[in-house]
Amino acid sequence: QQQPQSEPETLPSPPRNKYQNARRVLNSAETQNLPGREEQLLELREFFTSHLESQSSGSLYVSGQPGTGKTACLSLLLRDPAFSKRLQRVYINCTSIASVGAVYKKLCAELQLKPNGRTERDHLEAIQRHLRSAKRMLLLVLDEIDQLSTSRQAVLYTIFEWPALPGARILLVGIANSLDLTDRALMRLNARCELKPRLMHFPPYSKQQIVEIFKSRLAEAEVLDVFPPVTLQLLAAKVSAISGDVRRALDIGRRVVEIAEQQKRDGEKEFNMKALELEGKDAVEAKEKQADTLKPVQVTQVAAVLNKVYGASQNLEEDIEAAFPLQQKLMLCSLVLMLRNERNKDISMGRLHEVYRRVCSKRNILALDQAEFAGTVDLVETRGILRIIRKKEPRLHKVLLQWDEGEVHAALSDKQLIASILSDTACLGK
Amino acid sequence: SRLAEGTPRRSIHLSNIVEQRVFKDDDIISTPKRGRPKKSVEDEDDDYTPKKSVQKTPTRSRRLSTATKPATTPSKGTTATSAAAPMTPSQKMKKIRAGELSPSMQQRTDRPVKDSSKSQLQLAREQLHVSVVPKSLPCREREFENIYAFLEGKIQDQCGGCMYVSGVPGTGKTATVTGVIRTLQRLSKQNELPAFEFLEINGMRLTEPRQAYVQIYKQLTGKTVSWEHAHSLLEKRFTTPAPRRVTTVLLVDELDILCNRRQDVVYNLLDWPTKSAAKLVVVTIANTMDLPERLLMGKVTSRLGLTRLTFQPYTHKQLQEIVTARLGGSEAFKGEAVQLVARKVAAVSGDARRALDICRRATEIADTASVKCVTLLHVQQALAEMIASAKVQAIKNCSRLEQIFLQAVAAEVTRTGVEETTFMGVYTQVETIAAFMGVTLPAPGRALRLCATLGAERLIISEHSRNDLFQKILLNVSADDIHYALRVGEVN
Repeated sequence: QQQPQSEPETLPSPPRNKYQNARRVLNSAETQNLPGREEQLLELREFFTSHLESQSSGSLYVSGQPGTGKTACLSLLLRDPAFSKRLQRVYINCTSIASVGAVYKKLCAELQLKPNGRTERDHLEAIQRHLRSAKRMLLLVLDEIDQLSTSRQAVLYTIFEWPALPGARILLVGIANSLDLTDRALMRLNARCELKPRLMHFPPYSKQQIVEIFKSRLAEAEVLDVFPPVTLQLLAAKVSAISGDVRRALDIGRRVVEIAEQQKRDGEKEFNMKALELEGKDAVEAKEKQADTLKPVQVTQVAAVLNKVYGASQNLEEDIEAAFPLQQKLMLCSLVLMLRNERNKDISMGRLHEVYRRVCSKRNILALDQAEFAGTVDLVETRGILRIIRKKEPRLHKVLLQWDEGEVHAALSDKQLIASILSDTACLGK
Repeated sequence: SRLAEGTPRRSIHLSNIVEQRVFKDDDIISTPKRGRPKKSVEDEDDDYTPKKSVQKTPTRSRRLSTATKPATTPSKGTTATSAAAPMTPSQKMKKIRAGELSPSMQQRTDRPVKDSSKSQLQLAREQLHVSVVPKSLPCREREFENIYAFLEGKIQDQCGGCMYVSGVPGTGKTATVTGVIRTLQRLSKQNELPAFEFLEINGMRLTEPRQAYVQIYKQLTGKTVSWEHAHSLLEKRFTTPAPRRVTTVLLVDELDILCNRRQDVVYNLLDWPTKSAAKLVVVTIANTMDLPERLLMGKVTSRLGLTRLTFQPYTHKQLQEIVTARLGGSEAFKGEAVQLVARKVAAVSGDARRALDICRRATEIADTASVKCVTLLHVQQALAEMIASAKVQAIKNCSRLEQIFLQAVAAEVTRTGVEETTFMGVYTQVETIAAFMGVTLPAPGRALRLCATLGAERLIISEHSRNDLFQKILLNVSADDIHYALRVGEVN
C-alpha cells in the first residue's frame, strides 16, 4: 500500500471512461482559466496596475450573488506572477476568524509583524506602523467581508480608512454578496471621496457564459462529446434563468453524468445477461462493441435532473401517494379543510386537533392524543409543508401552511378518502 | 461565609479553595500548587472531567489492587502505575489532552450471563434492541446504492464534494451512511479502492458549534487543543496542497445544531471541500428536508450543492420486514402481532425505533404473563401503553370539585364562544353547576387552588394566580374528553 502511494497519478488502476473523466472535471474546485469573466478580470487588473504605477492607495468592493466567480477571479490574480514582485499579497477569509476584532491578529500573523502587546489595539498599532513604512505595496483581500459587520462597525471603518492613512500604500479589496453593503453599513465613507471604495459588481452568469464554461471544462479533459450542445443549452438556460450560480450548474452537470453512468451500467448488466445466452465469439465481439460506444447524455436525462432539483411541487403528489403516514395525511386534510372554509386563518394546534378528532371519529379511525399529535405536526414540518410558530404552550402553537393551498388541495383530492374529508364541512363544528 | 468570601482580602485565596473542593473526595493532592491553575479546562471534552480521571489515581488504584483480586483492577490503573511516580492532576490532564491515556470504564466484577442459558423470548428481546444494527439494512437498498455511488465516485476521482441527507427521525439515515462507509473501508483494505480517512462529528454532542474543530482535529491526531488552534491547524491542512494526501470523508450528523447566527462553522466545513488541496468529502445529515433554503445563508446553500437524498418514512410493509429480519427465524412473535405493530407505527410516523421499542415492550409483557410467544393481545397492550392517551384517566381520577371546575370551564367556553375564559366567568358557572348538583361550592380562594392544581397537571392552561378573578383560563383537553370521561364515570 505504501509503495504505490508515492505516485498518486498512476494509482487508479482501472482505466477511466469518459463519464468518469467528465464527472471529475465538473467539480467546483478552483480553476486556472475563467471563461465568462474576462471583462471583470481586465477591470481588476487595470485597477491594480494603475494603482501600482501611481503608487497610491485604493479600495475596492466586489459584490455579487454566490457562485458568480468573485473569489475565483481574485485568487487567480493573487497567483499572478506579474504582481508577485511588486505587491505583498494577503488573502483573509473573514469567516475563519474567531471574532470580529481578531481580524487584526490574523493580519499581523499573515504579515509576520511583531506587535508590542497581546491586545487588539497593539495589533492594530503594529499594522498601522507597518502600513506607514512598508517597502512594498500591500494587496489585502478580505473575503466574505459582511462577517465583519457589527452594530458600531468600528472594525470595518478602521479597515476602510487605511487607504487614506498618510503614507500608506495599500490596495484593499472586500468581497461580499450584497450589492449595497458599503452604502448601508458604511455611510460615513460617503462624506470623504478619497475613502469611498470603488464598486464592482459581478452579474450572474448568462446562458451563453455557462455554456462556455462547460465547453472549456469538458474540452480540458477531451470529453466534449459527452454533452451534446442541445443538452448544454437546456441546462444553461434553466440555471441562468433561476440563479446564474455556476456551482449549481456544475453540480447539475455532474449529476447528469452520474445518472447517465448509472443507467449505462444497468444497461450493460442487462446486456451481459443477454450475452450469456449467446454463443462464444459473437458474445465477445458484441461486448467489445458495447464497451467502446459512449452514449452522450440525453435531453430527457437533463430534464429529469432539473425537474428533480427545481420542481418541488412535482414530487408532492407521489410523496403523498406513497410515503406519507395516514395520520399525517389526515392532519393535513383537516388543515386544508379549515383553511378553505374558515375566515380565520389563524389556526392553533388545539383548534386543528379538535377538527382532526372529529374527522377521525367520523371515519372510524383511532385519533391520536394531543401530545402525539404535536409530534406528528412536527414531523410534517420537517418536510417544509408547514411552519409552526412556537408559543408558550403546545396547544397554542400556530400552524401555518407553507405550500400553496390550491396545490396541496389538488394533490390531496386524488384519493377517495381524502376527497371526502375535504368536502366534509360538518367536521368543523360550526 | 459568603460574606467573608466576598471581601477582597479573602478573594485572593479563592483559587485554592476551589481547587480543594474539586479534589476533596479523593484526598490526593500532596504537592502544593504554585502559580495559577490551568485555565484551559473549559476546552475539554465532556468525557474528560477531572473528577473521573482523579478517581483512577495511582495511589487509589494501588490500594485497590492490594485489597481485591488482581483480575478486577481496572485496566487503566495498571497503565497508570507503570509510570514511576504518581502523577499530579495537572500531569494527568496533560496526558489526557495529548491522548496518551485512553479513557476506560470500570469492568463489572461478575461475568455476563451466557447466551445458551437465555430463553427464546429473551433472545428475541435482545435482537430487537435499537442498538443492534444489522449488517445490511433491509428496505434501504436504493439509498445505499445512491450514497455508495456518490462516495465511491468521489474517492476514485480524488476530488471533494458535499452531500445532504435528510429524513424524519428513525428512518435509517445514520445507519445507512455508516454502513456505506464500512463497506468502502473494507474495499479499500482489499486494495480495490484508494485508501481514505473517515471522520465523524455529531452536532448534538458538541457544547458549542466551534467545538466541531476540536473534535475533527482530535480524530485526526488524537490531541485535544483549543478550538482556535484546532481551526488554524485544520485550515492549514486543508488549504495547503500536500502530496500523498488521502481523501477524507467527514460525516456531519445533526447539521442544524451547527448553525449559529454567523454560520461560520457550517461555512468552513462546506468551504474546505471546494479547495482542490483538501480532497474532503462532507456528508451532512439532518431532519429537515428544506434546511438549506430555510436556515442557511445563500452562500452556504450554494456550497452545499444539489446532491441531496431524502429518506422517506417506512411503510407498514417495510417495518414488518425490518422486525422479521431482526427476529431471524425465531418463533417468539406471531405474524399478525408484528403486522399490527407495523401498521400502527407506519400510520403515525414510520419510525423504526418506535416499532422496535413497542415490540420489545410486548416481549416484556409476554414475559410477565409467562407465555413463550407474543400474541396480538400483548401487542395491543404495549401499544396502549406507548401510544398513550392518559387524559381521560386523569379527568376521571380528579376530585369531585375539580371535575365540576373542568365542566364549568367547558360550559363557559360554549357560552361565550371564545376559547379563553376568565376565572370570574368560570366561577359563576361553578356556582350554577354546584347548585344544580346540590354540593356546597368552595370559596373563590379555594377554587383558585383547584385551578392551580389543574394547571400544574396541564389539564388546563392558567396564568399565575396573582390576579385572581381576572386570570385567564384555557382548556388544555378537548371538551369532548371531559364529557366522555365524566359521563362514562356516571354509568359505572
